[in-house]
Parts: sequence; structure tokens; C-alpha cells
Amino acid sequence: MNEPIVLNAYRPYPGCYDELVDDGCRARSQATAVARFIAHNGADELVRRQAQLDSTIAAMGISFTVYSDSQNIDRAWPLDVVPRVISATDWEKTSNGLKQRLQALNMFINDLYNDQKVIKDKIIPGELVLKSKNFLAPCQGIKPAHGVWAHICGTDLVRDEIGRFLVLEDNLRVPSGVSYMLENRTVMKRVFPELFAESTIGPVDNYPSRLWEMLASLSPRQDLTPVVVVLTPGIYNSAYFEHSFLAQQMGCQLVENVDLYVDNDIVYMRTLQGPQRVDVIYRRVDDVFIDPEVFRKDSTLGIPGVIRAWRAGNVAIANAPGSGVADDKAVYAFVPDIIRYYLSEEPLIENVPTYLCMDEKQREYVLANLDKLVVKPANESGGYGILIGPRANDEERAQFATAIRENPRNFIAQPTLNLSTAPTLCDEILEPRHLDLRPFILQGESVYCTTGGLSRVALRRGSLVVNSSQGGGSKDTWIVAGEG
Amino acid sequence: MLARTAENMYWMGRYLERMEGTARLINATTHMLIDSHQDARISWPVLIDVLGEDPQGFIQEGSSSELGVMHYLIEAEDSPASIRNSCNQLRTNARCVREVIPRDFWEEINSLNLFMQTECTLASSRVRRYSLMVEVVRRCQMVVGVMDGTMLRDDAFCVFNIGRHLERADMTTRIMDTLILQQLTPTEGHSSRRQFQWTSLLNALGGTEPYRRYFAQEEGETDVIDFLMSYPEFPRSICFCLQKIESAVKRLPRSDGVLAAIARLRGGVDSEPLASLSTERLHLLIDQIQARFIDLHSALTEESFKAPDT
Repeated sequence: MNEPIVLNAYRPYPGCYDELVDDGCRARSQATAVARFIAHNGADELVRRQAQLDSTIAAMGISFTVYSDSQNIDRAWPLDVVPRVISATDWEKTSNGLKQRLQALNMFINDLYNDQKVIKDKIIPGELVLKSKNFLAPCQGIKPAHGVWAHICGTDLVRDEIGRFLVLEDNLRVPSGVSYMLENRTVMKRVFPELFAESTIGPVDNYPSRLWEMLASLSPRQDLTPVVVVLTPGIYNSAYFEHSFLAQQMGCQLVENVDLYVDNDIVYMRTLQGPQRVDVIYRRVDDVFIDPEVFRKDSTLGIPGVIRAWRAGNVAIANAPGSGVADDKAVYAFVPDIIRYYLSEEPLIENVPTYLCMDEKQREYVLANLDKLVVKPANESGGYGILIGPRANDEERAQFATAIRENPRNFIAQPTLNLSTAPTLCDEILEPRHLDLRPFILQGESVYCTTGGLSRVALRRGSLVVNSSQGGGSKDTWIVAGEG
Repeated sequence: MLARTAENMYWMGRYLERMEGTARLINATTHMLIDSHQDARISWPVLIDVLGEDPQGFIQEGSSSELGVMHYLIEAEDSPASIRNSCNQLRTNARCVREVIPRDFWEEINSLNLFMQTECTLASSRVRRYSLMVEVVRRCQMVVGVMDGTMLRDDAFCVFNIGRHLERADMTTRIMDTLILQQLTPTEGHSSRRQFQWTSLLNALGGTEPYRRYFAQEEGETDVIDFLMSYPEFPRSICFCLQKIESAVKRLPRSDGVLAAIARLRGGVDSEPLASLSTERLHLLIDQIQARFIDLHSALTEESFKAPDT
């Protein structure tokens, strides 16, 4: 056994799990090749590679959009030069847990819109789900192909102080970020060819074909090659880059609502050659905007009649409208029970401990401990509207306390976690930065999980906010053979 | 192909070719200036006039200096005639159709745009401007080369090429017109002048050597105007471009209006004895051809790029 590589100049945060090194700054075995590169070449070389990486991203046109940025709708995607390395052993267990979780969640959604056994058996309070704004009554009685509603799931994982993966939240509506996972890898291959040559890094690039196969497995016309389209709100949407990227990589058409129409409960696309029937819609439009006949009447992004076509079984919609009922943060607290109920298995990945403010006892605990907890609204995404108790001032805490008392159903609370860190190039030196991980799980006829996922990094020292819309960056995620 | 995609591909083709044509025109004009006698005066605002509208009243403002006009044509972001603006439009259209264009094609357009943003600042010295325009032409051709080597020969490819060739034919007439307008300025008139500007014209269109070979092969009347209008083997002639548009548009489901517009254009060119036209008649002919390009454009967007009514 070779001596482990030691990163002398790097200082991890005490009490946090670091992805690359242990407490003695010795490289974890799966990270040997990366650590050796850093130890041999030093920060100067990393700075050079970072510059090369940034110009590659600019040349490839990898961008993201921030709504408040009226001048510049495209911003260059931030990618840190140091990869995050996870051992294949750790990953295998985690990805099995993610697949288990999505299967149970899909059985749960299907049950809610059909028999509601889970409520009758008192596993989850009926009022919690049936009164949720994400429970879409018009979807009741629908049985989509394979009993699957949430076909594409982006689950946010964090690692605690001992390196255990925990689920932070499930994103079952229109999860985004997978294109950046793929592009990060493409860029890293161009910038670190030597590291890819000497390590066995699990490839990620089969995702678009797995996505296409999954979508094709939903087609109502199984005897024909299905016509699959990606439905985007348009070029001003913050995830437009991803919509066009996925359509391009799957070789299917990117459409806006005006390109589609419904006739006799069948969806058609307007092409130069005339109407072409559409079998599967991968929608990147929020479900309540998808059909003004059924949901929001004021939607300008919808296709009138598409829900009729779906109900008639003439088109598949991924993710199915109404899937969001299961990614509510209040429902999240019940997911371990949901897994046990439908699969008769123990969850392979745990939740972060969660207090439901709708429960009187838990609410009292939350209100008494606001300075120690993170409070989240049950229905928001993008890291907005969160109270990080230990960092907030009295006034902010008082505002949240009032909001919680007024509408307890809308809030949950979790202990502040010591999120794991990884060395990140900040002002030309390596410093620890907190990060999370969003893998993507697909379910159609079968279930698939990406090799790793999108690692998002909070670039400010000590910050826990990883969202790119709020100054977060990203890292390429390597699954490398070896023990964790 | 979606109707919306057709429009985007068409405009991509047009803006790409417009960038190249504008760069060629700028260099040809500058060269004509360098070659001309000291007292020869070039009217720079003619370039703006020829390349399009002048919504900001730029010419009237009196900023008719070489530098002012070049700013307007190269880097001004708010100028509809600038190369920078064409490049922005090219990328914006490409961004809307990324799913139908190969990744390499997208990257080439994207790096062309980066080049325009970082390098294409006001080229005050003529030397620097010359090399910059050469680089613009070269990079536009790289985009075409990558496209040609990677793209499926599908409807999107056809429509892109229709856009390119319509714009190219249009730019050929605009470049001809510029140099003819220069000739119409009052103090000029001697016959050597015409010969001199034809050389600039051929240089601008990369046609000097092709013209010499054509000249050596053809019997009888040989005229530069004839060559640029109706010689089918020269890739920037009106005739060549119309042929390309014609064969591409036949692939699309509806092309009757476009084919009729092409026939009218050909009729207009063929009916004139090009070699013996006076400068004024030539100018009128070019005006007429340009009006028919607008008809051709309308036929494309109103018929061929529309999805049939459902």
C-alpha cells in the first residue's frame, strides 16, 4: 500500500466531513489521483486549468439565466476546477436507495389519485395531502403507463458529519440541472485529459439515451417509434439552456405551446409537412400552466385540451400533472413510512430529521428553538423563503414565528446540518466549501439512477446556499472505484 | 420541421451571410481608397445607404467621417447594419434551434459571437480594420464549413441554405450598387475609373481570379456585370444563388410562390443587355432586383415556412 497523499496547505472545517481528505488531510483512497495531481502541481496549475475551463465554458456557450438580470439573460455557468470524488461502494448503496425511494413515491402518488389506501390505512393524514395546493383534483382516476407519475426525479442529497448521505428534498415537478451535470463532464474531459486516462471514472453520458428510452416506454402507441417532444416555456425561461440541450441530445423536437394543438383528443405538432401526431410530451412547464381548460385559465403557456388527450390515453405527459403532491416538504417527513408501507422494506437512505409545524407539539418545539433550526416553507423551491436560525437576527426570527403560527401547514423545520465540504479554488487558493448533490432518477418501464449527479457548491465561506441563482457554483462529480 | 424552426434557420443563414458580405464590402471600399489618387474622395455614408435603413438619422447628423461610418457598420450594437448586430441576431436565432443543429455548429457560432464581443472594438487604424474584417470573413466560413461537415441534409439544412443564398445574392447587388454609386458622384467620369472600380468589386466578392478564368474561356462580350449577374458557375453570382434557392425550396412541401418569384427575378436579369448598360440603368436594374428579393422573401415566409392550416 502506498503512503496516502497529504494535502498540507488545505484546512478542512472542523466537524465537517470533507469529500477529498480525512481529518489528517490525507486523501481518501478514491481521491488519490486527484490529490496527487494537486500535491504535485500546486495551486498555480489549478489556477491555469480553471482559466482554461472558464474559456471552454464560454466557447461552448454553457449558460444559465437569472430572472433579475434584465440586461444579460445568459450568464456563464460556474464550475470549480476540483472534482468531487465519491467511492463506487458508497454510490451503489445510495443509488439503490434513490431508486427505492422513487418507486415508493410513485406508488404513493398513484394511490392518492386512485384508491387512497394510504389515507384509509392512516399512514399519512388525509388533510395533509388532499388540502395541499399540489393535489390536483382533475387528475383523480387517471392511471398512467406503468403506474408511474414522477418519471424524472431530482433528489437533493447532503452528507452529514460522518459522511452519511441523507435526503434533503425530492423534486418531482420539473427538476433541472442534469444538463449541467453532463456539460461539466464534457468540460472536465477537455481540461484534465490525464486524470481521466489514469482513473476509472464512471461515465455519465448515457443519460440522454436513458431519458429517451424511458420517455419512449410511456408512448401510447408501442408498435410505432414514438414522437417525443420537449415542451419549453421559451427562450426566456431560466432553464431554457437545459431544455434545448436535452432535446438536442435526445434528437427530438423542442416545442413551445403554440407549436402544438389538440384535435379530437389527439395532440399534434404543426410542421411544414403538416400535422404530426405527438406521443410523449416531456413538459418543462409547471403542471398548472399546461392546460387552460383545466388548470389556470390565464396560462399563456398551455395547450388547450392536452389534459383531455392525456385522460383519453392518447398522449403521455412526463412528469404527470399532479406529481408535485409528493414533493411537498410536509409530505417529505412521511417518506420513510411511505417506503415501508408500499415496499415492505426499510429505507436505504434516511431523511434529515424534520419537524412538522402543523403538529402542535412539534410546532412548540420549533418555536422554542428557532435559533437552532432551519425553517423552510413547504412548497417553495430554489432556496427562497428559508430561515437559517443560527444566522438570522431576532427580527427575522420573530417574522417567521408569526408566519408559522398563522399558517403552520406551510412550514417545516430541520436541525442545522454540518454539510460536507470539498476543496474549492477560491481566490487562487484551496478552501473548503459546503456542497450538496442532486442525482437524477428515471422511472418508466424500469428504474435508472445517474452515476453521481450535479454537485452544487456554496461559494461564499461558511455559506450553505448552493443555488446558482444565489451565487452557488458546481463541481464535476466522479464516482471512482474504491471504498469510501 | 416546425414552422418556427424554419424561420430561425432561415434568419441564421441570412445573418451569417450578411456578416461576411458587410466585412467584404468594408475591406473593398477601404482598398479602393488606398488605391485611388490622393484627391479621389470617397463618400463613406454611401455604405450606410446601401446597407440599409438609417433609423437614427446617422447620415444627417454629419458624422460622415470614415471612423463614424465604420463604427456604425462594425461594432455599434444599436445599429441594424452593424456586423456586431448581425452576429447577435445569428446567435439568438441559433439559440432557438439548438435541438436541430449539431453541437459543433453551435460552438462555432458561439465562439464567433465571443470573438465579436471581445475583439471587434472600433478599428480606428485601417491596418487593424483590414485584418479584423479578414478574420470575420474567415470565421464565417468556418461556421459554414462546420455546418457542412456535420449537419443532416434535412429541411433545416435546406432552409438555412436558402437564407444564406438569398442574403448572398442580395449582398452581391448591394456591393455592386455601392461601387456604382461611388461612380455617380459628380466629379468623376473618366473611363479608367470604371475599370478601376470593377477591380475593387471583384476583390470584394473574392472573384478576381474566377473572373480572369471566365474571361479567358468566354468568346465575345465579357463584362464584370454579366459575370456577377448571370454566370452560373461563380458562387456569388445572382444566377448561382437563385439556382441554389430553387433546388433547396423544391424539397419543401409548398414552393409555388417562391418558384414564381425566382422566375420573375431571372426574367428581369435576362431581359437586359448587361454589358452595355449605362451606370444609371444599372442602378435602376439593381433597385428592381432588390425589390424582387423582397418579394422572394415574402413568398418564403408567407408560404413555404408556414405550417398548413389545420
